[in-house]
Amino acid sequence: MTAIALKSLRRAFGSFVAVKDIDLTIEDGKFVVLLGPSGCGKTTTLRMIAGLEMPSAGQILLDSADVTYVRPRDRDIAMVFQLFALYPHMTVRENLAFPLENERLKRAEIERRIADTTAMLRIDHLLNSRTGGLSGGDRQRVALGRAIVRQPKAFLMDEPLGTLDAEFRELMCIELRKLHNRLRTTTVFVTHDQDEAMALADHIVVMKDGEIQQSDTPEGIYTFPATMFVANFIGRPPMNFLTVEGAVQAGATDVQVAGQAVKIPTLRGSAARAVIGIRPSQLRVSDTGTLAGKIVAAEFFGSHQIATLTTDAGTVKVETDRNARLTPGQTLRLRLETERIVLFDAESEKLLASDTSLARAFGGYHG
Amino acid sequence: MLRSATPLRGMTDRTLAWLFIGPTILLLLAFNLFPLIWTIILSFTNYRANRPSAAISGVGFDNYSRLMNDEAVWGYLQSTAHFVVGSIVLQVALGFALALLIDKKFRGHSFWTTAILMPIMLSPAVVGTFWTYFFQPQYGIFNYIIIFFSGVENFTMLGNVNLAPWAIILVDTWMWTPYVMLLLLAGLRSIPPYIYEAAEIDRASGFRLFFRITLPMVMPFLVLAVLFRLIENFKMFDLVNQLTNGGPGSATELASINLKRQAFEMWRTGYSSAFAMLLFVSIYGLSNIVVRYLEKVKQR
Repeated sequence: MTAIALKSLRRAFGSFVAVKDIDLTIEDGKFVVLLGPSGCGKTTTLRMIAGLEMPSAGQILLDSADVTYVRPRDRDIAMVFQLFALYPHMTVRENLAFPLENERLKRAEIERRIADTTAMLRIDHLLNSRTGGLSGGDRQRVALGRAIVRQPKAFLMDEPLGTLDAEFRELMCIELRKLHNRLRTTTVFVTHDQDEAMALADHIVVMKDGEIQQSDTPEGIYTFPATMFVANFIGRPPMNFLTVEGAVQAGATDVQVAGQAVKIPTLRGSAARAVIGIRPSQLRVSDTGTLAGKIVAAEFFGSHQIATLTTDAGTVKVETDRNARLTPGQTLRLRLETERIVLFDAESEKLLASDTSLARAFGGYHG
Repeated sequence: MLRSATPLRGMTDRTLAWLFIGPTILLLLAFNLFPLIWTIILSFTNYRANRPSAAISGVGFDNYSRLMNDEAVWGYLQSTAHFVVGSIVLQVALGFALALLIDKKFRGHSFWTTAILMPIMLSPAVVGTFWTYFFQPQYGIFNYIIIFFSGVENFTMLGNVNLAPWAIILVDTWMWTPYVMLLLLAGLRSIPPYIYEAAEIDRASGFRLFFRITLPMVMPFLVLAVLFRLIENFKMFDLVNQLTNGGPGSATELASINLKRQAFEMWRTGYSSAFAMLLFVSIYGLSNIVVRYLEKVKQR
């Protein structure tokens, strides 16, 4: 049970700065996902927490003990690697026993822990097989077992589901979450897959170019993305952006979009140029809608359809009823759900504060 | 043009295959299989190669029974065993140490790798010749160094019955340790870095890291190195022939050296054929054991 704190953590490889002075506090017992596109510095951050990579500057605290330059072995953390990193010449039992033997535990204690762990992960039937012949999923479980059996302060996982096929990945997500609910060990999980992040995390940290874009709950990230990058990175399809005409002022309750007034939550920030962000699921097809658009494409997803429309404020995607008739060329009118609208400063691409975003920040928002 | 191409086009895959492997098979038959069979046949006769016109008569297993009852032969085999075991142990130990050193990245890394590999590029006869000079009692540099540091007078390596067997091991080790190093280096490089990272996270001590991770994962390469050196040194001839020619006395009279003496100095062709068969069966059996072990370590 450990809290992890990163303070102005920096890692440079020559002139390339992979991690740019990030600050992050990971609360004890939380499942935290570092999410971002490849090259965003998430794996480097994880490896610095593990001690496999030395920071160029900054501090890493485990339970307020400074471990910045402490060897990995002295940090008491366990790691699950992307390629599993099982010892190929050992059986499953030997793989699990290895870290425990290193700690010089008693034989009986080792046996007991292995039995507990393998029962939990349902790999007890594999104990005597070599890891080379195992399927990807079983290897994943063994790698997980090798981390769990240690009872470490924290788990670090570097895209551990990346090599599994989609179907199995979903299954492992559920198992991982169940496991975490049971063990409550602080976990830092790295992935580029937003579905994994959403399914697993108590807390998501979105990274880009070595910087933290947003650190929030999955709901917070989804409803109030801190930047346009996050808005575009999360959600499938991503958030729509509609150009606002003219400047916006604090206190405004409506803005001009494509020549029409659109009601928005009362603004608490101002910008010379602004952009409305709204999820495809929060646009309603309605004859009284304020925004008119022409259908250019429609995709059927079984439970719903996604229509792509061109409007005077830009291209938008709309989630519609599965039975709706969508013919390319047809014009639809869209109504924007005021409560769900967010605004971004078009210059800085950052979220503009509004009554709804502030209410949530102070715990008053429920939706 | 088209006409001459037709028969080629009409050839079956099978014919074509035979055309390709035919020459190799012929060469193998002529230079490997035929001499082997011929040696087996000769080993049951009293044939002498320096008297081709003398009558040849079959002697049954006489050559073999003489061989088996000859205590000197066991002595030669013992010398060979001493040489093989001593050189392999030294070469593997030193080769492993060198490989571990070279595996680390440091300045002038490739220069030192090439420098270490130099001995294998030399011909064994050349190596034998210049080490004979090194070991020369009067002006040999090796003897000079030993005398300088130990104060022993009249030190001689090749002339001493107890030291000469170690002298040939020393030279062979000097020459072939780089080769073993190269194989083990390939083994070390085949271990992915994340395995070491995992072991570090798993808190393995340096001792356990070496014996539970590095050594087992390099094992297939190590066994391969042992196999190659075993076969090579079991039939070691050129280097030792050059250095000691079996002396002093018969201190370094390896089986292979004695075999040459029996066959081409005493011209006991039948007897030496039987001797050759004995060596052949021994090395075949030994290699087989090592190969089986190799298969076992490779499986995991």
